[in-house]
Amino acid sequence: MIDATIKGLGITTVPTGKPLRPSGAAVGFADALKGAVAETNKLQRAADGAAMNALAGDTGSLHQAMIALEKADISFRTLLQVRNRVLEAYQEIMRIQV
Amino acid sequence: MDISASFSLCGSALSAQRAKMDVITSNLANADVTRTAEGGPYRKKSIALVSEPVKDNFDKSLRDALKTVRVAEVTEDASPPRLVHNPSHPDADAKGFVAMPNVNLMSEMADMIAVSRSYEAMVTAFDATKNMALKTLEMGK
Repeated sequence: MIDATIKGLGITTVPTGKPLRPSGAAVGFADALKGAVAETNKLQRAADGAAMNALAGDTGSLHQAMIALEKADISFRTLLQVRNRVLEAYQEIMRIQV
Repeated sequence: MDISASFSLCGSALSAQRAKMDVITSNLANADVTRTAEGGPYRKKSIALVSEPVKDNFDKSLRDALKTVRVAEVTEDASPPRLVHNPSHPDADAKGFVAMPNVNLMSEMADMIAVSRSYEAMVTAFDATKNMALKTLEMGK
């Protein structure tokens, strides 16, 4: 379903219908989480580098540093939410009476 | 749609506005300069921007429509220098006229305000995008 204004721009949405999964065998949750942690760590390091560059007055500009910091922030918050949900589920299971 | 692609789009616009501001600053700084390496007074510089397709992993339909922005080139204004009668100036000609830069202070100031407002608009767009992402993370609470 396309909004009339978007139609005016000549944008056509093509439903891909494919689940977002890496090629090959299905990855486990632990691997996915490990990947997310690695990605967040990478973004944090990039943000550190950009901030250092901006402060040193090197090639990096101030807004690029801020954008890198925001990217790292959002990535970390996303990871935190995943961790919170997983812990909630775990605690819910631990409360099961046997 | 990847949120970092949206951020890159904002970043390119911010860089472009910064470049425009630098050009305006150069024009203002050199508004009274009568000697340059090329000879003659300083000439007003203008900047041209060009849009480029986004390289990031936007949704396929958006990728063709959305464009980032980049500085294409900085050109010199071809309009003639302003002649000011000032016989005591070291660069005055035989009739006492000095060729001053073709920089109009008023229009430079107006351009500067427009650029800083554009920059603010892009920062606001960035904040709005970030708030959308943060709101998404609050989903289901």
